[in-house]
Amino acid sequence: MEVDLSKITLRPFKLEDADDFLLFAGDDQVTNYLRWQTLNSKQEALDHIKDVCIPHPWRRSICIDNCSIGFISIFPFSGEEHRFKANIGYGVAVKYWGHGIATKALKMAVPQFFADFPDVVRLEAFIDAQNLGSQRVVEKTGFQKEGMLRKYAYMKGKLRDMFIYSFLSTDLPANP
Amino acid sequence: MEVTSVVQLDQTKAKDECLNLSLRPLQVSDVDDFMVWASDEKVTRFCTWEPYTNKEDGLNYIKNKVVPHPWFRAICVDDRPVGAISVSANSGNDKCRGELGYVLASKYWGKGIVTRAVKMVVDTIFVEWPHLERLEALVDVENVGSQRVLEKAGFQREGVLRKYFILKGRSRDMVMFSLLSTDYQS
Repeated sequence: MEVDLSKITLRPFKLEDADDFLLFAGDDQVTNYLRWQTLNSKQEALDHIKDVCIPHPWRRSICIDNCSIGFISIFPFSGEEHRFKANIGYGVAVKYWGHGIATKALKMAVPQFFADFPDVVRLEAFIDAQNLGSQRVVEKTGFQKEGMLRKYAYMKGKLRDMFIYSFLSTDLPANP
Repeated sequence: MEVTSVVQLDQTKAKDECLNLSLRPLQVSDVDDFMVWASDEKVTRFCTWEPYTNKEDGLNYIKNKVVPHPWFRAICVDDRPVGAISVSANSGNDKCRGELGYVLASKYWGKGIVTRAVKMVVDTIFVEWPHLERLEALVDVENVGSQRVLEKAGFQREGVLRKYFILKGRSRDMVMFSLLSTDYQS
């Protein structure tokens, strides 16, 4: 399958994305390293889009030809002390792995997010130590690896080592 | 002259190691001792809070934050509080993790007291909290004294987290340290 990366776009989710959403959100391989439970039905996909995706502070559908094939989610922390920080997560349908889509999407998303949330100074990603593919994606996007946090948290019932990566607003290339 | 100083330094060191150190809960009746370190701007330099200026605020802090805290102890020399050490708790998927914090009156700095107190906490916390897998601590990159405490206590330095924290209006890089229950057992 050839993928023309110039056809990758980001946009908010719509209820009409439910079938496409289920294709990746209903796949254990995609949700393996996410906190979400794998979705099981179109109704669950509709509910998730309505209750989570649409009200979310910054969630985008990764699209090819305006068809949803994945998501990027950036969540600013709440509270006066923490709102300068945000956390990023993402996933792409397995069929589309291996083409650089997630990297392309992240490279588009990061500057957009900092422009939308000018108070955020630090964007961080926690990547499972075993999730090599995702580590490569964030590294190619320009995140800096800061260290490995040993036995940092439970993910789906198992205690995980996680790499912590960050992208600061000051890491963005200066405007040309 | 130099020989005399060396002898005095050794004696002081031996005395420091003999300091009668203990940990116990901090109570409202300890407020005057609390105010000694809590009002000192040398002590609060890397703390999120400003120095306390009145006893009323000190009493409220002890009543509202210390007493209900999951794990908070006064560091005592000869049974008098000279500082404090605490471990925070998390819930859900983060339950495996607790964060260590400590503070010491500046008069008592340089004697290895906090290192000893941290070791005392490590000796007990994994037993008291069997669900705890990871004790972590975040230290300002400029707070070298505190980094040394953790290194001497056997913590592992995991990395520098850039602009991780806003301290008194400025973003700070922080060093992340951790000690696992499995590190402690081995």
